Amino acid sequence: MNAPFFKFEYFNRDVSLIIAFAIGIAFGIALEKGGFGRATILASQFYFTNMRVLKVMFTAIVTAMLGLYFFSVIGFVDLSLVYLTQTNMLPMVVGGLVAGVGFVIGGYCPGTSVVAFATGKIDAVVYVLGMIFGIFVFGEMFPSIENIFNSGFMGNVTIPSYFNLSYGLVVFLVVLMALGAFAAAEWGEKKMSEKSGKEKV
Amino acid sequence: MKKFLENLTTNQKLGGVALVLGFIALFAGDPYGGTSIKVNEKDLALSTVGNADKISVNDLADWIIKDKADFELVDLRSEEKFNEYSIPNSQCIPLTQLSSSELLRNQKIILFSDDDVASSQAWFILKSKNYKGVYILDGGLDAWKEKVLFPKAPVNGIKDELDQFEKMKEVAKYFGGSVQTDSSITETKTQIKLPTSKSSNTKTTAPTGKKKKREGC
Repeated sequence: MNAPFFKFEYFNRDVSLIIAFAIGIAFGIALEKGGFGRATILASQFYFTNMRVLKVMFTAIVTAMLGLYFFSVIGFVDLSLVYLTQTNMLPMVVGGLVAGVGFVIGGYCPGTSVVAFATGKIDAVVYVLGMIFGIFVFGEMFPSIENIFNSGFMGNVTIPSYFNLSYGLVVFLVVLMALGAFAAAEWGEKKMSEKSGKEKV
Repeated sequence: MKKFLENLTTNQKLGGVALVLGFIALFAGDPYGGTSIKVNEKDLALSTVGNADKISVNDLADWIIKDKADFELVDLRSEEKFNEYSIPNSQCIPLTQLSSSELLRNQKIILFSDDDVASSQAWFILKSKNYKGVYILDGGLDAWKEKVLFPKAPVNGIKDELDQFEKMKEVAKYFGGSVQTDSSITETKTQIKLPTSKSSNTKTTAPTGKKKKREGC
């Protein structure tokens, strides 16, 4: 038995849709349970009053990274068959900025907005409608921005291959970075709560 | 130590586990396990210019007769077909076992199968794994049979062609083949009796391609 299961054809396309549905449900529940269905919690990350988003994201990154790394080292996962998004530097920087600004203003990222939509939050409904409208506008104006969209193509780049580092070293550095971020987040939250406590007094 | 562990929160313990795993990762190696390859497309394309990546069957026959030993001749067909007949001094490494073979990157490697398809694929595989001197036997075993083992007499040949043919006759004889006369041209290829492996000096090596001492003619 080897992963990725779909690429090794342990199940066909129809079954893969059922599995995707189940994973999607589980992912949505996990996000909701993690508090990611509430805009106030998500937005407070950007004011450094609640570091939950950072902690959850880094936990997810470190868990997935260590799992994938060791599974592939022992030969269970064939990493070369795992889909890598190709990099277009400039459009990704622009898109990242747009998504970031939208995240702060709207209080959701595209995924969490759907989670909040499912629990019936009005702001999320508006957010999702806006997102669909944005997709429509993007599609309509695509011919005029196609050049930017395709610029800065770098192919399948990874941090280890780009900087010529070993994969193990990058794994270790990311773990260190995550642990540092956790410690900093705890410390920051304590400081912030002390400060807001004093202000109230 | 025990007290220290007890005082840790679950989060701190999980963080510790991550740290240990991350540290092990420093020494655990490449997760891609060498399955990914880098290809310099320009380099590859340039090496095909002017058929620089091909060896003609006549050249190869010449080299074998002269007992040149600076190349590895690789038969990519199945072991079964290899045992039936193969070019002398060749070793059998089926395409699927190519990456686990013991071919060295600094060797001159000549690939062949029945035609050019499998050898072209193998050429690409080896080239992309940074093998330097990889060549395709132009036309493969089919061309070897047609031009070396059973060459056809030129119909209305000029003198040069006839001289050439005299030489080819000798070559064919050397490899256990025979010249095709006009009457035998009509024969189908399957009827042509291939020299058996025993009569030729085919080197049979294990599919793993373990290098053996080259035998003389």
